[in-house]
Amino acid sequence: MTLSARLLDSIASAAVREGLADAVYTRLDTPIGKLLIVQGERGVVRVGFPEESVDDLLAQVAAHLGPRIVASDRELTATRDVVSAYFDGVDERLDVPVDLSLVHSDFRRSALTLLRDEVGPGHVVTYGGLAAKVGRPKAARAIGTACATNPVPIIVPCHRVLPGGGGVGSYGGGPAVKRLLLAHEGASVR
Amino acid sequence: MSTVVLPPFWSLVETHGDELLVHARRMAGDANGEDVLQDALLRALRAYPRLRHAEHLRAWLYRVTTTTALDHIRARRREVLTDAPPAAAAEPEHYDDAFETMIGELPDGTQAALRLRFVEDLDYEGIAARLNCSAVAARQRVSTAIRTLRTQGIAA
Repeated sequence: MTLSARLLDSIASAAVREGLADAVYTRLDTPIGKLLIVQGERGVVRVGFPEESVDDLLAQVAAHLGPRIVASDRELTATRDVVSAYFDGVDERLDVPVDLSLVHSDFRRSALTLLRDEVGPGHVVTYGGLAAKVGRPKAARAIGTACATNPVPIIVPCHRVLPGGGGVGSYGGGPAVKRLLLAHEGASVR
Repeated sequence: MSTVVLPPFWSLVETHGDELLVHARRMAGDANGEDVLQDALLRALRAYPRLRHAEHLRAWLYRVTTTTALDHIRARRREVLTDAPPAAAAEPEHYDDAFETMIGELPDGTQAALRLRFVEDLDYEGIAARLNCSAVAARQRVSTAIRTLRTQGIAA
């Protein structure tokens, strides 16, 4: 595409200003590759790993928030700064509003909310441990599904949820990325 | 939300933005092309969730851009005389009605060529096949019609 970045920025910003955008997305370079970040009116609704298809991810968001999706680095400056600060080790809290509209069940939503609220950087929890926190101690497998389908990885820290038997277990971005994020946060993994 | 599955709007901008800018410049002049395109895409965004089907989106964007360009040309004329507000209804049908009104005065053959191009979204080969002429002739017919519309807009 050869439309100037200035024109595209201007169109996207006008759309946001006039309340015409259901969601805004940006792509951010990080040590684990280019992340897709999609944000709606209520917060970040989707984070995509480099190997995921941007078209598919945006179509998912469109199905939930609406099809008026625009791209703008400028409109998401604050969110980009928070995520960059995490990867730079400047501030690892990832303190941005999150919208869990793309989560399909109340159980998964409460598990992810609890995870985000209670398991901070440098800390880890087992699938069973998180299940117990949610009040369903036998639901370790369901917690696994909640993590595997987490639409906002990294910001909702499912990388901090580990198998009880040791190791890092599986991860949407791959086990190597999970290890890297945990090492970055200084968490110890058996 | 409707059951129509529309693609994320920005994917349309990425796919068709370049040719729409060329079209906007051709209609409204090089200096105004970017303003017209921005205005057209914002109008399109306003109407987008209410579209009743997801077909021929490229042609739809061409119609929105065409009517927006004409509004700009007319607004520039009006600035000299009055500051009446431009007609900018957001309903999707508005563009189709506006488009039909706009081409209504042209000869039948010209109208047919414009509809094949901007409603049915055919390329020039497709238009040529339907109008039984060469692709070069089809392109010429469409570009002459656009020139005529542009002149009418200036004269209106």
